Amino acid sequence: MSTASADPFELSAPPDKEVLDVSLAHASGWRFWLARNERLVFGMSGFIGVLLAWEFATRAGLIRAVFFSSPTAIVGAAWTLVSRGTIWEDIGVSMEEFVLGFVSASVLGILVGIAAGWNRQVNALASPWIAAWYATPHIALIPLIVLWFGIGLGYKVFYVFLVAFFSVTINTLVGVQSAEESYLEVARSFGAGQRTVLRTVVLPAALPYILTGLRLGAGRAWVGVVVSELVGANHGIGFMINLAGQMLNMAQAMFGIVLLGIFGIVIGELMRRVERRFDIWRPQSHSGPLRGR
Amino acid sequence: MGKLEAVDIGMEYYQPRIRHRLLALESVSLTVNEGEFVSMVGPSGCGKTTFLKIVDGLIHPTRGNLLLDGTRIDRPGRERALVFQDASLFPWYTVIRNVAYGLECQGVRASDAQKQVQPFIDMVGLAGFELHYPYELSGGMQQRANLARALAVNPELLLMDEPFASLDAQTRELMQAELLDVWRQARKTVLFITHHISEAVYLSDRVLVMGARPGRVIADVAIDLPRPRDLTLKRNPHFLELEDHIWGMIVSQVKRTMLSDRLVAANGAR
Repeated sequence: MSTASADPFELSAPPDKEVLDVSLAHASGWRFWLARNERLVFGMSGFIGVLLAWEFATRAGLIRAVFFSSPTAIVGAAWTLVSRGTIWEDIGVSMEEFVLGFVSASVLGILVGIAAGWNRQVNALASPWIAAWYATPHIALIPLIVLWFGIGLGYKVFYVFLVAFFSVTINTLVGVQSAEESYLEVARSFGAGQRTVLRTVVLPAALPYILTGLRLGAGRAWVGVVVSELVGANHGIGFMINLAGQMLNMAQAMFGIVLLGIFGIVIGELMRRVERRFDIWRPQSHSGPLRGR
Repeated sequence: MGKLEAVDIGMEYYQPRIRHRLLALESVSLTVNEGEFVSMVGPSGCGKTTFLKIVDGLIHPTRGNLLLDGTRIDRPGRERALVFQDASLFPWYTVIRNVAYGLECQGVRASDAQKQVQPFIDMVGLAGFELHYPYELSGGMQQRANLARALAVNPELLLMDEPFASLDAQTRELMQAELLDVWRQARKTVLFITHHISEAVYLSDRVLVMGARPGRVIADVAIDLPRPRDLTLKRNPHFLELEDHIWGMIVSQVKRTMLSDRLVAANGAR
């Protein structure tokens, strides 16, 4: 697994604001504004266009509102849930599951990853288990975990831990092993002890990998929250969606999905900020679409 | 007795994939005296870098003895410091933290170490760049930091592994002149590896010419040019004479290896 593995949050890096076409220096006001805010303008117009088309299709009877709801109905459902106040409890429960599961997975994953990447014996001992557990679809374990923990907080936290743990562990392990031989040689040449080598060479070299592992783990953990709530829960956003779906309250179910998306984006963006904060020592690269720059 | 004495150093590698033993160094014996600047030149693959890493203690030789001031050495130590071929600065540390790294390894607190290394940063002309990261420096500046990092631990013996090999021709010449300045100020014993003959002649008191693989010293050429030297010396007839003399020895070595490599290849094919 590399740092460039498939990542839902990494669709496109933000464009470099400093680099603008020289020909725009004398362009008129609105063209200049458009060039500066191109991403925003195109992004928003696509979004608004889809919402308008959806609303129109429902009102014109082209699609059935009972199955597909409509943007205004979703806003209405959101208003009802917020004014009734029940949504806060669902959000709170989902957040609690996420934080407990993800934080424990991060701490343990980093520790296990460092140990298995650094020590040959630990690696030989742990890596078959890590590989096997990573390859197994964790969702298959849900019936067992429910038996062990019941349908409470424990079951969901454990499931979230399970799905996030291996992303963190494997990325950390790979990162620790990525420390370049030439840097290790420098450390040895200056007489660094094992702990100094770990602190000054191995961990800094592994840090970008660890952060990527955390970001991927956070994404998986959030999915884990919803999956575990869909299977068995009495609170949480996933539970709310399940319930609304069973009562054919499409607007409410759709609102739940929108909430999941928003939190997913927020989590990804937070993790990305953490990553950038630690990334000052590397030249910034700007990847993104190449055509139409 | 010299500062550094290498007695009959041999290095043999076993290559499991082709079940072949490679003799990298046959038998290298040499002496470097206190305060001397000695270069080793030789064709690529003659084991120069291997020998230098053995002296630094990074590699254990399969044969022979190394004495520093008469004491046997077999591991990295404070009295030696290696200037690496690729600058090998840690990209996650600033210039000053990199230069202070050797002291940090010796147990000096990072903040104290950074205060102590300022003179060396000034000496190599990196004042003002202390808080830059390595990727923000040019190749020449990275090599200066690499040199400062080695000088900062105040070694008695400075080992330099083709430090200017990756620099462009102009930067390289300027760095050579600067190195002589630094050497004069710091008063170190230097063992310098290069495949660049003019560089070796320009910098050194003595040039040791290495034979092609398996490596051994085939000639010890005293460079009787006056010091201090500046870059105009490189057009001096005696300088060119020395350069030619060494060049001739190396060319015959390279030709011999090419021939023997061809013979080995022909034998292997049979």
